[in-house]
Amino acid sequence: MIDERKLEILTESAKYDVSCSSSGSKRKNTSDGLGNASVGGICHSFTPDGRCISLLKILMSNECLYDCEYCPNRRSADVPRARLTPDEICELTVNFYKRNYIEGLFLSSAVFDAPDKTMELLCETVTKLRKTYNFNGYIHLKGIPNADSALMMRAAKIADRMSYNIELPSEKSLKLLAPQKSKQSLLLPMRELKEAMDYDRINKVRKNRVLPAGQTTQMIIGASPESDGKILKLTESLYRNMNLKRVYYSSYIPVVKSPKLPTVGVGLLREHRLYQADWLIRFYGFDVDEICGEDENLSADYDPKCAWALKNMQLFPVEINSAPLAMLLRVPGIGAKGAYKICEARKFGKLDFDNLAKMRIILKRAKHFITCKGKFYGSDSLAQVKTSLLLEGTEQSRVQLSMFSDLSTSLSVLTGEL
Amino acid sequence: MKIFITDGGSDSFFTAVFEAYNQSECAITSNNQIQMSFDSQIIYVAADQRKSARVQRGISKYDDRAIGDILLVLRSGDNMKEQIAYEYIRRILERKTPINKAYNIPEVIIFNELKEKVTGEIHNMKGFMRFMESGNGAYYAPYAPDHDITDLLMPHFARRFSNEKFVIHDVRRKIAGIYDGHDWVIGYAGEAEVYLSEYEKAFQTLWKMYYNSVNIKERPHEKQMKGYMPVRYWKFMPEKN
Repeated sequence: MIDERKLEILTESAKYDVSCSSSGSKRKNTSDGLGNASVGGICHSFTPDGRCISLLKILMSNECLYDCEYCPNRRSADVPRARLTPDEICELTVNFYKRNYIEGLFLSSAVFDAPDKTMELLCETVTKLRKTYNFNGYIHLKGIPNADSALMMRAAKIADRMSYNIELPSEKSLKLLAPQKSKQSLLLPMRELKEAMDYDRINKVRKNRVLPAGQTTQMIIGASPESDGKILKLTESLYRNMNLKRVYYSSYIPVVKSPKLPTVGVGLLREHRLYQADWLIRFYGFDVDEICGEDENLSADYDPKCAWALKNMQLFPVEINSAPLAMLLRVPGIGAKGAYKICEARKFGKLDFDNLAKMRIILKRAKHFITCKGKFYGSDSLAQVKTSLLLEGTEQSRVQLSMFSDLSTSLSVLTGEL
Repeated sequence: MKIFITDGGSDSFFTAVFEAYNQSECAITSNNQIQMSFDSQIIYVAADQRKSARVQRGISKYDDRAIGDILLVLRSGDNMKEQIAYEYIRRILERKTPINKAYNIPEVIIFNELKEKVTGEIHNMKGFMRFMESGNGAYYAPYAPDHDITDLLMPHFARRFSNEKFVIHDVRRKIAGIYDGHDWVIGYAGEAEVYLSEYEKAFQTLWKMYYNSVNIKERPHEKQMKGYMPVRYWKFMPEKN
């Protein structure tokens, strides 16, 4: 049986990896196997911080050769170290899975040996889990930068998803804060995996596909000086050029004292605004340039969609009963689901404000930007619209700020991976 | 007002729809404890296969997915489920077209919301169900869902744990889904006594340890946790006990 203390150390070290999703893979069970993947993903529990537990998220080891400035597990840090064997990891995964605690394994590791050696042991672990333990549940594997690409490809045929974390939003910051990792060591594997996935798609490969659930990445926000505009540009290019499924952000928390790092953390509000912008890019048809200039930061007062609408008041109000879907998606207070519902519902008859309220459209926000059957209930003056949206916004950010104040006093670490 | 009381089954419900359809004011329910006004007239409806089939054919003529949705709603634990399904059927027959996306009709929104509560609980339970290993190697999962969904969960777990033997026990409705490694059945199950395997406690302890370690204490957000994972489900989850 696995040692409790070891599990504790390696979980504590892994928990700052934001991603825990188990979606995107349709892997089927085999006749003598255990488990399958559910394409929509399944959350198995929720922790008191409001996050979901879907995967058993652990490091194989937190012993690290690298000395990344921001990382609590960096070589020079004085922290308890632990390592699990491939069999210990497999046993734990299978036994948690059979009790329906988890959807699968998210395995990561510090670079405890040469990158090739580390990657090889990760690879051996997931191979063992699939072949010896006949496990067909979800596997997310973290890629080790600078490891041999043949090892990476081997892993990619076994895992459902892989991620190489780009860590910081620019090459310059990466050089300064994570000197052993280079832009190339992170982007090349990403590119190579993308090309392998493209090949499978074009050739309609069905068996042993490379990463059926694709790739994700993560970066730290606020440890380095890049603007939101730069971060979003990078995000957009990662989605477009690397075909990533998700880009995750994690707010910087000052736990490691270093002259190269800021002494104050960034609030969760900034992270939240970036995610809102990320959603607008992926699901609402926005380009980054519309939301945020290259050297600008997102507004703290308004969410990015409101901020965009306030700058483009000449486009509003739009008539709910005739506006095209693309325009409905741009109305503050109407979400993607709401916009689709409106398009369906208006085929059955003209909609009024009462209908919208029942469909859970946020009228407090939307009313300034729409008409229903020609009627307008918003405010005519831009100043008044701004004030009312701002009031609503501060109600939300007050919650954010109280979370932030807890955060800044925290002794917690920043990011546990690698 | 006429109140049609069904036996809780779907045939009895569709028969009641048949009887009620031409009444100007009526209600359908399977709840015997219903509050009645002084002028209400109670009619107990026994299932009539012929009438039930006729109603279902009539509905399917306009919307071939509606029956499936209605059967889902009838699994709900909500006392109003028959009435909500009845109102929905009336709208389909009036409009003679699928109305599941007519979000401008209040009855459609209410119906869809109830349906989503049932399908939502099915999805939640795929995650929140907790199995324990018994001494003989079979896995046992007690739970108390709001809606009658055990038979809809069995295929999911049978695919996933195809080589295991397991039992999913709805302790509220006293029914259980039993999988023997090949096929599954649903049967009556009152109290169950389960002898745990020697490793069970150890894995529960490891799981609790994992649950506590993966939480970021400095970012408490209990409200969100409870929103996603309602407290009433916690009773059967080792990490919350």
